[in-house]
Amino acid sequence: MDTIERLDLMAKIKQENVAQIIDFLEQNKTRDGEVSLNDVMHLAEVMSGSMHDFLSTVQPAVTEELTAIAKEITRMKQEISALRANDMTGNKIPDAGRELDAIVEATENATNTIMEAAEEIMAADPSDSEAYQDLVSNKMIGIFEACTFQDITGQRISKVVETLRFIDERVTSFIEQLRIPASFEAEIEETDEERRKRELILHGPQHSGEGVSQNDIDALLGDSQADIDKLFD
Amino acid sequence: MALDLQMPVLVVDDYKTMIRIIRNLLKQLGFEDIDDAADGTEALEKMKQRRYGLVISDWNMEPMTGYELLKQVRADGSLSKTPFIMVTAESKTENVIAAKKAGVNNYIVKPFNAQTLKGKIEAVFSD
Repeated sequence: MDTIERLDLMAKIKQENVAQIIDFLEQNKTRDGEVSLNDVMHLAEVMSGSMHDFLSTVQPAVTEELTAIAKEITRMKQEISALRANDMTGNKIPDAGRELDAIVEATENATNTIMEAAEEIMAADPSDSEAYQDLVSNKMIGIFEACTFQDITGQRISKVVETLRFIDERVTSFIEQLRIPASFEAEIEETDEERRKRELILHGPQHSGEGVSQNDIDALLGDSQADIDKLFD
Repeated sequence: MALDLQMPVLVVDDYKTMIRIIRNLLKQLGFEDIDDAADGTEALEKMKQRRYGLVISDWNMEPMTGYELLKQVRADGSLSKTPFIMVTAESKTENVIAAKKAGVNNYIVKPFNAQTLKGKIEAVFSD
């Protein structure tokens, strides 16, 4: 192919390229600036694909690079598809939230039932031993029944754990496939809520063996102020 | 200061069930005059209207935490001597030390039993 033929081909391809890109932009212009990662990838595919013919005549090495980029884009699309982000945000996470709400409700109901039974036993008149025994027996059965919440909440917690595992597996795989180095992670800015928790020393309940025991607390409270001040030096 | 079972006790917790549990335990211990508040702000308002003989407060509440309530109580001349027990799931050393520095009389970590509550109340009034 001589120089004139190359220039002819380039002009023809340019016209086709521009037409394809204009078509793409025309089709998407009514979307009020909402451009998804998928759209960007599609545009990149159109652009890189449309240049393929021209570049293959000019520079095979560049063609190889573009082919590799196109393959990478395809692979990323597959990874994004495997992430099932819409399923996560639309189904899995809201479902887990509903399960947790149901757990809170079930434990609260059970606690109230048990406490009501205990309060009625505490307030009962034991002078009539037969009536008192009947009342205690009935309330004890009520307490046992209320304790059945544990079985159901256990099953609900398993579903939430399953969801967390699903999200963990997919996000971990996605990060590995994208080969994102830890240094690329954005710095986390402290939110107002986090600042409040830090300033007011709000850690929440500790796991077994992590917090201090009542005995440790008693020992700390028994220390003199001077000993405690030393801990801050 | 002697322990008086007739004295009014203020229980401060944002979790109604916990208030109910502490109320029942206090009743079992012989206390009869038990009031409650859902956070530090409500507790402080009640304390300004009535003199309580003992405050039993949770730490983690909104908008005002038990820790902030403790500091405000100790900073208020008319309330500063009120016995104050923290009952909380916050069990890190820095919490206990901060509470002690702020002037807490005793500190109970959740979950707790009736014997612990009884022992700590008695300890506060035997000091």
